[in-house]
Amino acid sequence: MSYDTHRTWYYELYGRYIHLWQFVDGGNIDTLGSYKIRLPAEKVRTQLIYPNEDIASGLRIEYTSFTESEIFVAEAIETTTARASGTTISFNDDGDSASGYNDIYDTGDGLADFENGDRIRVIGSASNDGDYTLTADAGAARYIQIGTGNLTDEAAGESITIYQIPKTGATADESAHVNLNRMLSLAVVDFMKAMQKELQGDIQGKEYYMREFWKKVADDQSNKRNISISFPLPVYAVK
Amino acid sequence: MTVKEMMERAGVNSTGLALAWIKDAVHTIKSSHGEELKVNKQNIIDGEREYVLPLDMVAVKSISVKDTSDSKYKKIKRLVFDPTVTEDTDPE
Repeated sequence: MSYDTHRTWYYELYGRYIHLWQFVDGGNIDTLGSYKIRLPAEKVRTQLIYPNEDIASGLRIEYTSFTESEIFVAEAIETTTARASGTTISFNDDGDSASGYNDIYDTGDGLADFENGDRIRVIGSASNDGDYTLTADAGAARYIQIGTGNLTDEAAGESITIYQIPKTGATADESAHVNLNRMLSLAVVDFMKAMQKELQGDIQGKEYYMREFWKKVADDQSNKRNISISFPLPVYAVK
Repeated sequence: MTVKEMMERAGVNSTGLALAWIKDAVHTIKSSHGEELKVNKQNIIDGEREYVLPLDMVAVKSISVKDTSDSKYKKIKRLVFDPTVTEDTDPE
């Protein structure tokens, strides 16, 4: 059994590999049942060892990725505003309400904003979290439909949120949208101008537009991290 | 914002070049800050220290190992120095 992994595990990066190390403070450790025991005859010392147990899905890597199919989307992300939330949402896998479809029901009638073809993300459910594409929208505000074989039967009760996400995999052409918000899209425009200046041999111009690019990227970040500072002033303070 | 609108704003006429530059810009943005994080999980194997990074990775945000005593993933630290052992031919 692994415990205090934030204190007893370390990693190293080697090219495209991660090396995992376990820190042990003692002699050879053995496992008896699910308990770690230190063998009494061994010399006590601290050391780094290879992982000494199997942990299913034990390593979790959080990262940013570059996937070409996700760069261009079929709609501007600012328009993906449909959203529903509540404890009245249930999932039906057998498609009995509309033959050939799986359905997401909301007895609170909160699904009116979703349309056929929308990409949606479900969170908070017991067994239906994930991304789906709506294949029909015949149910008005009461239900939305997804192709068969995607859902698991689930009664209402969980606090579930469904929200629209951009449709990925759009053909990369002039009509496609870039999967970025408006501020970052403007930064990309500056990047393109910088590249043009570089092609023209205007390095000063390139540097100018690259600065503009990074300013907008930084703005996009700082806009989400507004910090307000308040401090008391004495009654007769001159400011 | 559509690709066409970006091309007009930047004064670029070639669609192919514009698409290539957009990809470069997105790559640069993703290497500097962590929007749209992805998660990759792998099995840890007894006696095996080497695991592969996701091939579509641009930047690592965090690496965690599951604490099976409370079923939580906890961030682990990067070793500052290389360990003395370069290869363990008899791991536990």
